Amino acid sequence: MTPPSPLLVAVRTSLILVIALTIQLGFAPGLQVFGVQGDLLLLVAIAGGISAGPDRGAAIGFAAGLAYDLFLQTPFGLSALTYAIVAYLVGGLQDSVLRAAWWIPVLTATAASMLGVILYGVFGTVLGGDLIGLELVRVALIVGLLNTIAAPLVVKAMGWATGSTKHARARAVYR
Amino acid sequence: MALSRRSGGRSRLTIALLVLTSLTLLTLDFRDAAIVQSARRTAGNVFSPLRGAAETVSEPFSNAWHGITSYGEVQDENDRLRRRIEELEGRPVLDEDAAQQLAELLEQQNLEWVGAIPTTAVRVLSGSPSNFSHTVDVSKGSRDGIKVGMPVVNGAGLVGKVVLVTRDRSTVQLLTDPDFAVGIRLLGTQVTGTARGQGKGEDLLADTNIEPDAADLPKPGASVTTSGVDRAAFPASIPIGKVRSIKESRGGLTIELEIRPMADTERLAFLTVLLWEPTP
Repeated sequence: MTPPSPLLVAVRTSLILVIALTIQLGFAPGLQVFGVQGDLLLLVAIAGGISAGPDRGAAIGFAAGLAYDLFLQTPFGLSALTYAIVAYLVGGLQDSVLRAAWWIPVLTATAASMLGVILYGVFGTVLGGDLIGLELVRVALIVGLLNTIAAPLVVKAMGWATGSTKHARARAVYR
Repeated sequence: MALSRRSGGRSRLTIALLVLTSLTLLTLDFRDAAIVQSARRTAGNVFSPLRGAAETVSEPFSNAWHGITSYGEVQDENDRLRRRIEELEGRPVLDEDAAQQLAELLEQQNLEWVGAIPTTAVRVLSGSPSNFSHTVDVSKGSRDGIKVGMPVVNGAGLVGKVVLVTRDRSTVQLLTDPDFAVGIRLLGTQVTGTARGQGKGEDLLADTNIEPDAADLPKPGASVTTSGVDRAAFPASIPIGKVRSIKESRGGLTIELEIRPMADTERLAFLTVLLWEPTP
């Protein structure tokens, strides 16, 4: 199977970003668990790292974060910075994640979601906020759990968008 | 091997460039560059129809979810509201008299009375899409005369201020947001200060000009309103909350007040925007 062209990858990824943003803005605030909502854009960034590796994953994470930042009143660029780094780190684990059991990417998404929230809190605090504390850990845990529920679907969708099926990725590793 | 090293080098270059770009954007935002607000406004306008549709579709699910997860709270709230209605039924005459007296007093001091400011009622469309900002989006925007900086209240008191306006919706920063600050006055005293948000569900924390050994320290339960002093960001006499506790500031030179807001920012349905702009 030939991999999709870069243009097609860009179009598909943009489509997923728009859908994720719509769900995050329109649905997530009304579906909170203990006052915390899932972070779908962070999950898209992580899935980008899993599917496309550190290089393209970081770019997808940056785009997801930037799109999210446009609708938040938090420092502009903070989500973009955090999501790009998280996607890059997850992308670094790509090979081991790709060829493992189905639940490994899901578990990776859970851990990376928690890491993303913690990193966001740390960067936010460096920029003058006061986010570090038990509340941050609580938010990270709940976001991790909520993102786990959506992870299989989002990882699959990003695999489709980036053309990174298991077979294609295996070929990429040996190329 | 060489290929892998080259690919690793490219990845590091990519992430370095993205980090650099993010830091540039953060710097622009901290310098209040107009381009950031303009980008947010444009994105809000472009995305508004899609967002509105998603909110409409999600409303029944959201209500059902809220009913399931907060059934007990909703029932308690209903009981509390019934009792409150009974209490309030006899109050309008007294309130009218008090408002008249307050208006006269403020006029003598050359302060604007909040009751004389034109307003527009808005509906809360959605809460904050993030776990780290305390905002709500409301149903009117620049088309209805709403501008950035306008105060937002409900029947209980101050709720926040408008921070972003698009054509047909606005974003209101709630008074619990850690970036929110408001000049306060203790009702019936000359004690003033600045109160800041401490996060969702938390009290406001206000620094004051009172020394810890002052003879007449404020008591818990005292009412707090906006100060409305010259060039204030809010008009005078909007109720904010009640003093919950008093403590010494870190340096021990003044006292700080923990203020429980009157408005319940967790359950907002309809709000009022005061069409009042702070003096630049």
